[in-house]
Amino acid sequence: MEGSRRGWSPDAVVVVALVILHFTLYRFLVRWPVMPSFLIGGLLLAALRLRAGYAAFLGFSLGVLEAAMALVGLGTISIVLTVVGYLAARSRDLLFADARYYVFIYLFAGTWASEMLLMLAMPGGPGILGGLVLAPVSALGTAVVCGAAERLAAAFRRP
Amino acid sequence: MRHINIGRPENQRRDLVIVAVLLIFSWPLTGLDSSQALGLTRLLRSTVLAPFLAADAAYERRAALAIRTAQLEADRDALYLRLQIATDLERENRELRAQLSLPDRRPGSFIVAELVPGRPSIGDSHTFLLRNESLMGIEVPTGVSVPGGIVGVLRSTSGGTGLGEFWTHPDFRVSVRSATGGATGIVRSIAGEGGGTLMLVEGVPYQARMAEGAMLETAGLGGVFPPGIEVGTVIAEADSRSGWSHSYLVEPAVQPGTVRAATAWDRSGTEPVPAPPDTSAPNLNGSEQGEEAGVGGF
Repeated sequence: MEGSRRGWSPDAVVVVALVILHFTLYRFLVRWPVMPSFLIGGLLLAALRLRAGYAAFLGFSLGVLEAAMALVGLGTISIVLTVVGYLAARSRDLLFADARYYVFIYLFAGTWASEMLLMLAMPGGPGILGGLVLAPVSALGTAVVCGAAERLAAAFRRP
Repeated sequence: MRHINIGRPENQRRDLVIVAVLLIFSWPLTGLDSSQALGLTRLLRSTVLAPFLAADAAYERRAALAIRTAQLEADRDALYLRLQIATDLERENRELRAQLSLPDRRPGSFIVAELVPGRPSIGDSHTFLLRNESLMGIEVPTGVSVPGGIVGVLRSTSGGTGLGEFWTHPDFRVSVRSATGGATGIVRSIAGEGGGTLMLVEGVPYQARMAEGAMLETAGLGGVFPPGIEVGTVIAEADSRSGWSHSYLVEPAVQPGTVRAATAWDRSGTEPVPAPPDTSAPNLNGSEQGEEAGVGGF
């Protein structure tokens, strides 16, 4: 990430904090079908600042950790998050980065797509119906929380 | 947001190569069996994820302290009574076996271990971890149970950690018999109407019947589970293949989500249970206390 030569940039701190928050609150986040996904939010925010290859590697690493925590889906989760990391980083070229609600829409769409993929790929998942009903609500929560965290980081980033 | 330039073709090619390598590396992970997956899972859970798991365990201990204390006291009282009865039974059994010139019973031993259920954010988990240093070298697969009944099967071990599957796993099977020994069958999991998971006992010989409320226990065939562990209670008949067999819905004795400690059966030194004699001929003497009409074997 940019600024890493001078120490931790606010973006990196936010991403690491979201990932730590995800694994710390894991017990509560998996209790209900609709909860914000700090892990996917953190990955998407990191993908805004990383090159596509590095974002994919981060997605892979987070996927393996998530699977080790869940004791299921080792390959499935890592593949999905690798693809999500890569596509999220590449999507910057397609979207208008200066739009007012760019990050919010990016987080919402990215989380929805990611959860949809996971719901379809994971054994015993809620399937397409869950992807259309549960995933948007979860994506909305993720976009609000992680979008707020990104705004906080932006405030520290300004000179 | 400030973005770095990723538009250069050489960067894009390199990124594509990285993604391709990661996907090629990830693909085999989807097909790992439990013993191979356990190595990586155990490594991550004992290093990177260790602080989170420790915090989670501390929270659980603290949150459930008052409830668990009361429950443990009740369990202790119940166990004390059972121990008194078991001591008498053990002595009687020893004396009777001596009179019949039978060898000593060697039921194997049980290893008490902490059970950590899998908790995916999306989808179902039918897997769990068992943790106890004594699990090192235990022969797998082997049965995992609690005093109330069967929990699942331990599939693989690595050091003092084992990876197992609850009875809700689609691959789970266990041979059972009715507590009175009249009928036998094979139990697997089946989705219940209300979204929960029930058990289905299949292959019950046509001549044998299981009444509602009949208790099922492990038969011990195959050597994975010791005989006599409670499996569940028959709810209703599910299907009948005319002239061949019956199947029954079974209410499980143990719901996996509630278990935090369980015992793994260490069968080293035990002898396999012999298959029951083929007694599939109709029982003309009627049912045993009205529970099973006829006797079955398989």
